[in-house]
Amino acid sequence: MTTGDEFWSIYREALPILVIALGGGLFAGLVLEGILESVERFPGLLVMVPVFLATRGNVYGALGGRISSGLHQGLLPPKFERNDRLVNAVLASFVNGIGISIVIGVITWLALLIIGWESAALFEFVGIMFIAGVLTSVVMIVGLLALIFAGYKRGYDPDNLVGPIVTTLGDIFGMVFLLFSIGLVEVMVG
Amino acid sequence: MITPQGSLGSWDAKQIVLNMFPLLVVLSIIVLAAGITLEDAEEMLNEYGILAVMVPTMVDMGGNLGAILSSRLSTRFHLGTTELDPRDRVLWENIAAILALALTIFTALAVGAYALGAILGFGLPLSTLLVISLVSGMSVAVIAIIFSFAATYASYRLGIDPDDATIPIVTNVVDVCGMIIFIGVSALVLGL
Repeated sequence: MTTGDEFWSIYREALPILVIALGGGLFAGLVLEGILESVERFPGLLVMVPVFLATRGNVYGALGGRISSGLHQGLLPPKFERNDRLVNAVLASFVNGIGISIVIGVITWLALLIIGWESAALFEFVGIMFIAGVLTSVVMIVGLLALIFAGYKRGYDPDNLVGPIVTTLGDIFGMVFLLFSIGLVEVMVG
Repeated sequence: MITPQGSLGSWDAKQIVLNMFPLLVVLSIIVLAAGITLEDAEEMLNEYGILAVMVPTMVDMGGNLGAILSSRLSTRFHLGTTELDPRDRVLWENIAAILALALTIFTALAVGAYALGAILGFGLPLSTLLVISLVSGMSVAVIAIIFSFAATYASYRLGIDPDDATIPIVTNVVDVCGMIIFIGVSALVLGL
């Protein structure tokens, strides 16, 4: 191997993925800028934003990793069907994704209470996180599986697909559904 | 990101949730620090909306760079090709590649944010955005590199599968550093 081979191989391999993530990140940023306007109505709302975004990666990255390993090992066929392993993996992601969203609402409220900052009501935080969590789960799980299956059938290594798909979809849909959910709770609690 | 190769044995939904949920709660508590930093900077974000546009990328990108490096390092450790010898040229090429990727992406972030700001009418000068993006971005990249080495080496030595816990913890800690550094550098550059 000559000097520079390793350097260029990493650079070329990773750059397209990171550029996709950058595009998703900038779009999510535009939505975040819109969310800033709702902050006055729900003080403390911004605390939940990074935690909610990070969780999308943690939960659905795990699902993507599991599905792509399952495909590699021949444990799963690359299609939507009533396969026991697929049903269990998807069910676990729903429970994890929605469960952790509720936990985020609670720990955000607790953290604001402890440091003594102004805070919206507990049920408002939990309501926003629950609705955003449910909507994001559905879209992330269906979208992630569809893209991994389609990529796998066309001969792409699913291991290389999972990271960029999760980061990009998670940023975009996480922020859009968070904005939607904030609006919905605002209307419901009046 | 959690990619549970090591604990892949179970395909039972209840077992997967029991394995993962405690880690998810710990990670959420770690990232809460980033949330509190963001909330604290609300006034600055309201005044300079373009900074809010940059936040998700600043938070994600350190973790992405760390994940790329960690997965390459853990493959090399497993193959026995790395003993953390500072004379190992390939290790330095890995580090150089991560820094070059960071330089490219954070330059593109500044240019992208500048273009969006110009279209939407709440921009900052390109030079200001470049300074903010590159100073905070390159600092995060260095932190991501240090953490990735430490975590991959520690998991290798202790015989833990890095995919199980170390990579997600590193990714989330680096995310928090990204947020704190970005807000700090922005405040410094804008003289707030």
